[in-house]
Amino acid sequence: MQVVDQGGDKMVLHVGPQHPGSGHFRIVITLDGDYIIDAKPDPGYVHRGAEKMAEYRTYIQNIPHLERPVIIDATGITLPYVLTAEKILDVEPPERAQYIRMIMAELNRIISHLYWLAIYGIFLGHSTMFMWPMGDRELFIDLAESIGGTRVTFSYVVPGGVRNDIPGGFKERALKTFQYFEKRIKEYEEIFFNNPLMQSRTVGIGILKKQNAVKLGITGPNLRASGINSDTRKDEPYCFYNKIRFDIPVYKEGDSYARCMVRLRELQQSMDIIRQVLDRMKPGPIKHVIRGVMRGEPGEAFVRTEAARGTMFYHIVSNGERFPYRVKISVPSFRNLIGMSHLLVGSRLADMPAIYWSLDYWPVEADK
Amino acid sequence: MIYTVIKAIFIAFAVGIRNIFKKRMTLRYPEEKLEIDSGYTFDYKTDTGSPGFKGRHILYTDKCTGCSLCAIACENIADCIDMVRVEGNWPINERSIMPQIDYGRCVFCGFCVDACPFDCLFMTPEYELSVTDKRKLVHTPFQLAVFPEKKGTVKLVPGKRGAHHD
Repeated sequence: MQVVDQGGDKMVLHVGPQHPGSGHFRIVITLDGDYIIDAKPDPGYVHRGAEKMAEYRTYIQNIPHLERPVIIDATGITLPYVLTAEKILDVEPPERAQYIRMIMAELNRIISHLYWLAIYGIFLGHSTMFMWPMGDRELFIDLAESIGGTRVTFSYVVPGGVRNDIPGGFKERALKTFQYFEKRIKEYEEIFFNNPLMQSRTVGIGILKKQNAVKLGITGPNLRASGINSDTRKDEPYCFYNKIRFDIPVYKEGDSYARCMVRLRELQQSMDIIRQVLDRMKPGPIKHVIRGVMRGEPGEAFVRTEAARGTMFYHIVSNGERFPYRVKISVPSFRNLIGMSHLLVGSRLADMPAIYWSLDYWPVEADK
Repeated sequence: MIYTVIKAIFIAFAVGIRNIFKKRMTLRYPEEKLEIDSGYTFDYKTDTGSPGFKGRHILYTDKCTGCSLCAIACENIADCIDMVRVEGNWPINERSIMPQIDYGRCVFCGFCVDACPFDCLFMTPEYELSVTDKRKLVHTPFQLAVFPEKKGTVKLVPGKRGAHHD
């Protein structure tokens, strides 16, 4: 990217890639006084070629590898991959495995949203809001760890089912944690979301109108904050989301505050989903056993799921070999990046962190 | 309007002050350690694992046949398993080769455990693997054969007066 001399009283400002407020990512901002007149995102600093590397790995070896782009939402990125690979390999997972996958996916959504909330708090200058979600996230990591075995990168969902059953006493632990966390959500609201100091920095800042959100192709919580009721879990149900009753939080304001509130409400929804799943689960097999090398039929398959940041889309082409011929990932962060330059233009420089982090942009996921 | 703003600020302060008197969540790490029940194991016959922590491996040297399936499973993931020659007499291991794991590369996915058909490679709750010398990260088969002692004593408990380690 070239930096052009703007002349006059305009200034070009590079935010990132080392700036703590941007992640491994740069935005080139042109300022006129305090107002941003142009913002050019410059991603690609953490591009690792995950799609190309996936062509040299078997269907199992791809699982730990494809987790790397979003380690805080590991199930969110591996679940669609496994669902796509199952279509290629032509296996049907047992019922219990589908439910356990939903538990892990929703736990991961909570973990990811709490991480975002902590970062958003600290960048609005509220250090309490950094400490609390980071601490409470530990409880959910504990729950996920008791199933998946590791803290963040579980490698838990495999073609044919899941690798192990949930441990005994998980239901009691989970319900106890949810009971505790529901009280905490009220406290979060009181100290942060209803706080006039926080509202003054986010309400009416970075408004994304309904028609613009559709035009730019925004996905996930950012789209729902603009008043569009769109969630892949409802629109194209995968696993057993069609058997579960849950509401999708939708806000019509489209500003930074609405995007925060959508995520806060999703925490509650995810816990409700896990509660229902735990009630519905019946004992049974957890894996459709595939012996030998996994070789797909020649053909292609694609699956859309709802990850923490939005719609995650996988397209796998197989030519009957051990390795997939092509793995295409369409990640939500990259699609939300398009909205960033649209939102930043016309706002003040001081509002940049409030807009930037409200999009929940994860550079590594976008760069793959 | 101004009344609601002042009220909201007071509520925010009150919540913060209320939390001062709750139990702390911080884990005082070197003094206190988290209790982890068991490590991840895998039953090859039913092809399902048992839930557990994926920490350092444990190698049962008397059961290992040197089939190298764990090293093949690790290919393209971390490439951290090497089959090395081991001194001694091993009746079922003709070539006397056993896995040696480089923990500088291991990602703790546990697919090597899933690959082992002789139930001789499992994982343990041992997670304190830091060393001062980089070369010591490579664990030889005899180092892997030692079962770790249990260290943790506390657990994270969500209670009425805040989550804390107990």
